[in-house]
Amino acid sequence: MSALQSTTALQTARRLGVSESGLAIVALVGFALLPIFVSGYTIYILPQYMLYGVMAMSLALLWGYSGILSIGQAGFFAIGGYIIGLSFKWIDFGNPAYIAFVVAPCVGAALAGVLGYFLFRAGVRAAYFVLVTLAVSIIVEQVAVSQSQWTGGWNGMYVPRMSLTLGTGTEISLFDDGPIYYFVLVVVVAIYILLRWLVTSKFGKVLLGIRENEDRVISLGFDASLYKTAAFMMSGALATLAGALYGTHAGFVSPSLGGVLFSTEVVVWVAIGGRNSFLGALLATIVVASLSNYLSAIAPRYWQLVIGVVFIVVIIHFRGGIAGALGRSGAFGKHKRGQDG
Amino acid sequence: MAEFLRAENLTKSFRGLVANENINFSIGAGEVCCIIGPNGAGKTTFVSMISGHEVPTAGSVWFKGRNITGLPVHRIAQMGVVRKFQTPSVFSELSVYRNIELGVLASSCPARERHGRVLETLKHVRLSELSDQRVGSLSHGQRQWLEIGMLLGKDAQLLLLDEPTAGMTAEETHSTGELIRRLVNELNLSAIIIEHDINFIRDLRAPVTVLHLGRILMEGSFEEIAGREEVREVYLGEQK
Amino acid sequence: MLSTTISVLIDATLLTFTLALASLGLAIIFGLIGVINMGHGAMLTLGAYFTWWTMEAGFPFAAAAIIAATCVAIIGLALEHFIIRHFYDKPFETLLITWGFFLVTTEVIKIAFGTDIHNIPNPLPGSFDLGVQQVPAYRMLLAIITLGLFLAIGFVFYRTTIGIKVRALTQNREMASLLGLDIGRTYKLVFVTGSFLAGLAGALICPMLSIDPYIGMVFLVRAFFVVIVGGIGQILGGTLIGSFLIGGSETLFALFSTQTFAQTVVFALAIIVLRFRPLGVLTSATRT
Repeated sequence: MSALQSTTALQTARRLGVSESGLAIVALVGFALLPIFVSGYTIYILPQYMLYGVMAMSLALLWGYSGILSIGQAGFFAIGGYIIGLSFKWIDFGNPAYIAFVVAPCVGAALAGVLGYFLFRAGVRAAYFVLVTLAVSIIVEQVAVSQSQWTGGWNGMYVPRMSLTLGTGTEISLFDDGPIYYFVLVVVVAIYILLRWLVTSKFGKVLLGIRENEDRVISLGFDASLYKTAAFMMSGALATLAGALYGTHAGFVSPSLGGVLFSTEVVVWVAIGGRNSFLGALLATIVVASLSNYLSAIAPRYWQLVIGVVFIVVIIHFRGGIAGALGRSGAFGKHKRGQDG
Repeated sequence: MAEFLRAENLTKSFRGLVANENINFSIGAGEVCCIIGPNGAGKTTFVSMISGHEVPTAGSVWFKGRNITGLPVHRIAQMGVVRKFQTPSVFSELSVYRNIELGVLASSCPARERHGRVLETLKHVRLSELSDQRVGSLSHGQRQWLEIGMLLGKDAQLLLLDEPTAGMTAEETHSTGELIRRLVNELNLSAIIIEHDINFIRDLRAPVTVLHLGRILMEGSFEEIAGREEVREVYLGEQK
Repeated sequence: MLSTTISVLIDATLLTFTLALASLGLAIIFGLIGVINMGHGAMLTLGAYFTWWTMEAGFPFAAAAIIAATCVAIIGLALEHFIIRHFYDKPFETLLITWGFFLVTTEVIKIAFGTDIHNIPNPLPGSFDLGVQQVPAYRMLLAIITLGLFLAIGFVFYRTTIGIKVRALTQNREMASLLGLDIGRTYKLVFVTGSFLAGLAGALICPMLSIDPYIGMVFLVRAFFVVIVGGIGQILGGTLIGSFLIGGSETLFALFSTQTFAQTVVFALAIIVLRFRPLGVLTSATRT
């Protein structure tokens, strides 16, 4: 087994018999079989958490693999939600959902591309970039509130459930929770596989190099700002796409979907789940979001507080999140020591 | 002789402080040259102007007939001018293999040949056995070699080596000298080497350029330089 | 036409001073010790809430403002002492940690004070008639106070021993410690001062707005852009110029559209400015 396929932590993991891929398959089987045993609310809510998880994975790509932190992913997510809402409102030919699924990632990528071009090319500090992403989140929320003639303002916007139109004229309605559960699951799995593949490609390896030592990467001949912009565009596109799918699933989009609090929660999920691990980000999101939903019903005022405290603790103590902490003991994920970005 | 690298009247000043003044320098393909001088003589700044990390205040740099003055670092590196830094700049959390791989990824090597290229480079720098090791666990000397390996993987044509033997034992220094000689001969590379170690420079048997206060004091072979009064004066006060 | 222009200028100037006041604390902390205090907005909010709370207890506005600012300064001290000071060489971690501070503080505020909106009566009612426009007396007072603060900070910074010490520290940390400067104490002082100013800003600004848990958030981003555009480290001149640019542009664009749109445009402009002047408008960016 050559060093080709894995980082050192994964190799250690393999020796211990645990690997991310193995765990991923177990998780997939689990989720696929779940509707057989459970029904009702869980099947309804789980795809939404999975889509949050896609948002988290997009952040893991950006933060974990490229070393670029963004606290604005929710902004992209909300944009996606509003795009599909508007798509259903305004478009009466073809399948509005399909159109949204194309438009949304393009818009997300374009926004990220413009920002990335301006910021990375100028060589702005990582900290400034974080600020700009924060501003994105704030602006998205404010625009959603103020342009109420389109977005419904604080009252939000209702989005119908989509249907799958297959070429032959058949239409499969995804109105019921069961079928749409599987649709979302398929999409999420596809995105997961895409991301796993991406990080083993040349692009992914260069991103990793940029995270580790950007100057060295530049001095080897790579245009680092281009790679960073591309990573940001990918992550923006994914988050926006996830938002679009979320919009039709949840049936309702509101400005707080793009707000700063939500953006921060995404960072918390990824920080807990391990930003170097897509599976960690995904699962942590599902777990924490479920917990948060459950606990906020019991003690609504205290849950956000707990999130904030957990966030601080995680930043102070864990560098690789829980997946990273596990990595120290040999399971998947990578534990980083020393300087960071 | 087609000049591989040429610096013309290269000058760099930082807000009044002149780091380099009117440097005229050239080196041909497959040639090695050592740059020596006391601290603050402007050696690193000079090399930085070639690699693109500093923009000259005046003068120009030409590489293979093209004016590369003021180009961004990555463009110059793409052209084959690659730099090894004073403090080893490697990817400490990645494995040795991955480090070299990044160098190879930066070259024009096609995907299916990459693996072979990495192994070959590992052999050149004698790090094959440590391929899976995390760089953090390497010795200082090994890290220097790793960095050189990265430059090799990138199929660099002009190596800019900033104190490659710093922190090395006498034995490692000797091996490094041999390594560079071998690479230059086998792969027809050029190298500009900033160095302090006298034995290394002597063994390398390459022309030497002495920098002092930002200017070229003199150039010649090691023997010519070593005996000169001025050179010794310039080094007075330096702990060697 | 002329009267509109003058009117706009007056608005822009007032906004400039408000922004400058809100950004000063951040400029000091960010500029002098390199800590990206994402909790700045929360400190502002705390200043506002403490002021309201103290006034509910019967104190007059001026006293309440000072008390509030002092309380925020104490909180800042605690934050610095227990957490921040371990992370001075890790700017990214401090960014995240202070962001966490913002989250926690906002939630605590919600729990302690509830989410209802509160209001403070205008401490200086009435307005001045400047011919073209009525300017609220309080806003003028605010501008004067802000100017006074800047002058005071400038004096301390350039004319007192403490100021010299702080400047020495930021210029060359190693040298400063070799000269016997207590780095830890100086950093604490800077952080506490910045917190105090943030709290004070919140206290002074809140009569003009309704107080809710997110009152400081709006100023957080603008304050950062003010500081970045003005130039890190140029804590006085830069902050004023940055405030003027940001405030002025906002006022200008708000003439043609909604406040939100104006803020978005300004934000976009700031990013473009950043592209060409990453170190702020006062320094010309050179690639080193």
